[in-house]
Amino acid sequence: MWSALSADARLYSSLRWPRQKGTLNNALIWVRSRGLLVLAFQRVHHCYLGYRLKEGWTARTIGLRLLLAFGRWPVVMFSKCDVAASTEIGDGVYLSDRGQLILGPQRIGSGTIIHDRVTIGIRANEIDPPVIGRNVWIGPDCVIYGNITIGDGATVLPGTVVSMNVRPGAVVGGNPPTVLYAKFDNARLRRTLANAIDRRSLEWV
Amino acid sequence: MNEFFAAAAADIERCRNHNTRSPWYTLAVIWHEVGLQAVLVYRFGRMLRSGQRNVGVWPLLPFGWLLYALAAVIMRRCYGIRLALSAEIGKGFWIVHFGGIEVVNCRIGQRCTVGQQTKVGRENDPDGPQIGDAVLIGVHAQIMGPARVGSSVTIAPGARVTLNVPENSLVVGDPARVVFRGYRNAAILPATPQQPRAA
Repeated sequence: MWSALSADARLYSSLRWPRQKGTLNNALIWVRSRGLLVLAFQRVHHCYLGYRLKEGWTARTIGLRLLLAFGRWPVVMFSKCDVAASTEIGDGVYLSDRGQLILGPQRIGSGTIIHDRVTIGIRANEIDPPVIGRNVWIGPDCVIYGNITIGDGATVLPGTVVSMNVRPGAVVGGNPPTVLYAKFDNARLRRTLANAIDRRSLEWV
Repeated sequence: MNEFFAAAAADIERCRNHNTRSPWYTLAVIWHEVGLQAVLVYRFGRMLRSGQRNVGVWPLLPFGWLLYALAAVIMRRCYGIRLALSAEIGKGFWIVHFGGIEVVNCRIGQRCTVGQQTKVGRENDPDGPQIGDAVLIGVHAQIMGPARVGSSVTIAPGARVTLNVPENSLVVGDPARVVFRGYRNAAILPATPQQPRAA
């Protein structure tokens, strides 16, 4: 968990302050970023679920339980994010600082960037949540639902409603969604926080 | 007053998913369900608004409005749920999840359901949408303008509805179009738990 959290802090500070680097920024980002707060809280909660299964009620799990019980609603209200505790989140994931995220996927791979006002959840009357691969870029106002897989390196353009599998490296956009490009390297998108993307050229507007 | 309690009871009934009559369970439901709290605050505001006609309760109204304003600000700022009093919402309204909900200048029938990031109606637009009974409005959906939405319509996630929709249909996409008629949304809504029989 600690290595994952330090990877998150490095990612957040490099996205927030791309020109500057250093341990000071990696420390400062903890008090400047709401998304990091939510992410850290989710990691602690996920860790707690593992401890509970392994060791039952001990001093550690009781302490964590109290922290989570009293800390959850302040965090939720402050950020308006709700991230399911059962989600396995890889190292170095970015959840937007602007919040309004309702996330309940099975897995989020490392290097994924999720912008604000995104919903990821189950389809009505089903129980299997979606799986988000590594290095995925998900724009604002997206909905991803159903028992689906978003492949590694896929790009989900802003305002997309995805309920079908997305192949690795593909670009989907629109509502109902269409595959705009079969292969696209989204490394440039993932390096900044700009999220207004032109649908045709995939350049910043 | 009676209308308020009847509507509030119907709203609580939508959020219950256990077959018990214990008042502690009802309290627990109100404590946990953020959307239910917002709906109850809205009902309280509507009760105050209808109470303005009755001269007998005028001394109580300033306290009531103060309480309502405080609660509504909390619902809006902490949970992002805004149910304006200009909206007319029927009994049994269920907000599944908090965040980014705006219901303004519209008329909504009974037993409707909305998800997060849903926008119904617009500010400065008195001729808002009119929505029938038992409509399921999915997450991130937007209903704008003078749209008439029939009863038991299902609006898919992310749909943007601006035109009239016939009843019992499934609406998908931006701009929204009817993809299926005779769709029954009762199958995908959780059934109301049956009341236990009196022993």
